[in-house]
Amino acid sequence: MIGVETEAVGLGELKVASDPSRVLVCYGLGSCVGLALYDAVARIGAMVHVVLPDSSMARGRDAPPGKYADTGVEAALAAIVKAGASRSRITARAAGGARMLSLAGSNPKLDIGARNAEAVRAALARHGITLVAEDMGGTYGRTLHLYVATGRLLVSTVGRGEREL
Amino acid sequence: MELQSSQWQHLEQIVAQAFADSARSLSQMTTGEINLLEPELSFLPLKELPGIAGGPASVVVAVYLAVKGDIHGHVVLLFKPENARGLVDLLLGHPPGTCQELDELASSALAELGNVCSSAFMNAIADRTGLEVKPTPPVVVEDMAGAILEAVVVDLYQSGDEALVVATSFNGALPGHLLLMPDTVSMARLVAALEAIR
Repeated sequence: MIGVETEAVGLGELKVASDPSRVLVCYGLGSCVGLALYDAVARIGAMVHVVLPDSSMARGRDAPPGKYADTGVEAALAAIVKAGASRSRITARAAGGARMLSLAGSNPKLDIGARNAEAVRAALARHGITLVAEDMGGTYGRTLHLYVATGRLLVSTVGRGEREL
Repeated sequence: MELQSSQWQHLEQIVAQAFADSARSLSQMTTGEINLLEPELSFLPLKELPGIAGGPASVVVAVYLAVKGDIHGHVVLLFKPENARGLVDLLLGHPPGTCQELDELASSALAELGNVCSSAFMNAIADRTGLEVKPTPPVVVEDMAGAILEAVVVDLYQSGDEALVVATSFNGALPGHLLLMPDTVSMARLVAALEAIR
């Protein structure tokens, strides 16, 4: 596509964009969750690449705010509002949270993907943000594209096609 | 990870022994001869791992095993899909180009490859360092590199920074990577054990 510029959102990163040529991308999400926030009137988008469910798992190291579901949701909301989005118009969509390597007999409590998905849902609910669509769980990877101009969110997979959220 | 040259040498010897054993076992399993090209060792930051596979969104075939015992961590064999299929043909004694998809037979051939290579590796470590290590049964997946490696990186995110990456090539034509990813405590234990080798 001409005039489109992709910007990768890496592990634990948070990106905000209002430039309509911009596409925010989370590549190869497995157990991580890609959260897209969007204000359809101001046409501003934000994307977070959540790695772990809970910032209380941090052990004293400097962590990027997007690394954990709780701090990631909070930081993304603050950032998108600061960029000019209206809190009441922000919608959320999320994808990822898969279980990639299911070892026989492994403890389902260690399913970090499901915990990430649940933590993102809970954090959004705490902030009163509606999760309008989600594609979470399963045993396969996903790549997410958020088109800032239109708010279109595309989920692509290997061998399972593409879908819009 | 900074290794002294003697430690590095011991590590290279362990890998060389493991690869020689792997090649011998694989050749016995199959009708033809399988050799592994002289391995190249390096340490890579966990975040850069998807890069060796062509980036997080590129499709790879991975054979995954968890490691338990004196060393805790993960072992991943990583191949481009076409090379994984080539390996399946080699392992099953089929003409090149026979394997088209990762069906049950292909997956079990690759799982066996994972068993052989990881056992050889664990045995070589035990022989030289006395550390007892056991791999779990392997899981074979074809998907995006980022998604597969994420599962491992997330587990190590708080306790490890680097992976030991061994690059090799089967019969000189089918390149692949063996990733050894111990947690920090295990890495320190391994390095200390390398130090103690005389």
